[in-house]
Amino acid sequence: MTQTFDASTRTEAPVGADEMTALRGFLDYHRDTFRMKCAGLTQEQLAQTHPPSAMTLGGMMKHLALNEVGWFGKTLGDVPYPPLFESVDWESDPDWEWRTGAEDDPQELRATYDDCVRRADDAIDEALARGGLDAESVGKDSSGDPFRLRWIMLHMIEEYARHNGHADLLREAVDGETGE
Amino acid sequence: MTGGTSVPVMERTRRPLRADEVTSLRAFLDYHRDTLLSKCAGLTVEQLAQRHPPSQITLGGLVRHLTAVESGWFEEGILGLPLMPPFDQVDWDADKDWDWHDAEGMEPDELFAGFAEARARADAVLDDVLARPTGLDTLSVEEADDGLGGYSVRWTLLHMIEEYARHNGHADLIRESIDGRTGQ
Repeated sequence: MTQTFDASTRTEAPVGADEMTALRGFLDYHRDTFRMKCAGLTQEQLAQTHPPSAMTLGGMMKHLALNEVGWFGKTLGDVPYPPLFESVDWESDPDWEWRTGAEDDPQELRATYDDCVRRADDAIDEALARGGLDAESVGKDSSGDPFRLRWIMLHMIEEYARHNGHADLLREAVDGETGE
Repeated sequence: MTGGTSVPVMERTRRPLRADEVTSLRAFLDYHRDTLLSKCAGLTVEQLAQRHPPSQITLGGLVRHLTAVESGWFEEGILGLPLMPPFDQVDWDADKDWDWHDAEGMEPDELFAGFAEARARADAVLDDVLARPTGLDTLSVEEADDGLGGYSVRWTLLHMIEEYARHNGHADLIRESIDGRTGQ
């Protein structure tokens, strides 16, 4: 069974909103865009590469799920990973999510992704209540400096948009579909 | 011309971790403008016109497209000015992909000079509107098609960041198909 997404439910970022509404609107827009890019494809299609790139849409979905709970959960709020990611030996298998995402059942993969998005939204709500977009992360960068929530939101928007650019070319190579 | 282009491998704009809204938005935009240039660094005119089928996108086309997009959203959209030359003379109804086609056969020096000019003009628009009391809430002169009114400068900046980032995703795979280079 493939994943589905009703395009009429895609979030559009409001054109005249405040900072927080605009950032969340653009993030949701790119989450929905990515769901659309993966919708209707079989497990084999989600595992297809567009050489020379080794990326797959299935691997990308699990990678973005990990990014959701990594940045918004672990880094921002020190929330432990969901059990699925907690047990991975990242040292010996640094591309685990890309590798296994290409092997997952499409609907189970999408359920994992949607669950990680919900967890991320809860972590965003918590941080906004704590300090708004200036709220600082518990986790630090390599120099020992915290991130503001504003930076993490902008980074996730660019992370998604760039991966959606990869997804555009992957999807076109899989079945010729472009746009959105 | 078969030599490398005039775009050097560059240090990209840094994105400060704890900045205010305007500083953050402008830094993320500059970071992605720089990323596009770094994706093109060291390539010949032939490589800038190379495709990664079935996609028809080229790196040269991306640069020309984003040159027009900069002028379109900032000069035309926010201030209601004409597009910068030569885009103001184009019959877009006859060829909505004129910018992509125009890149074919353009000398890299001319291509990247046009991009730099559009970027400078866009930054001048931003300096102008952000100095107003309404700042990021200033609405564009050009209105959205669906009766939603003008776009705020905030929305325009966020849109340009995602527009560049998505196109930089295209650039990632095209560059990798040309010479194997990934990352950045």
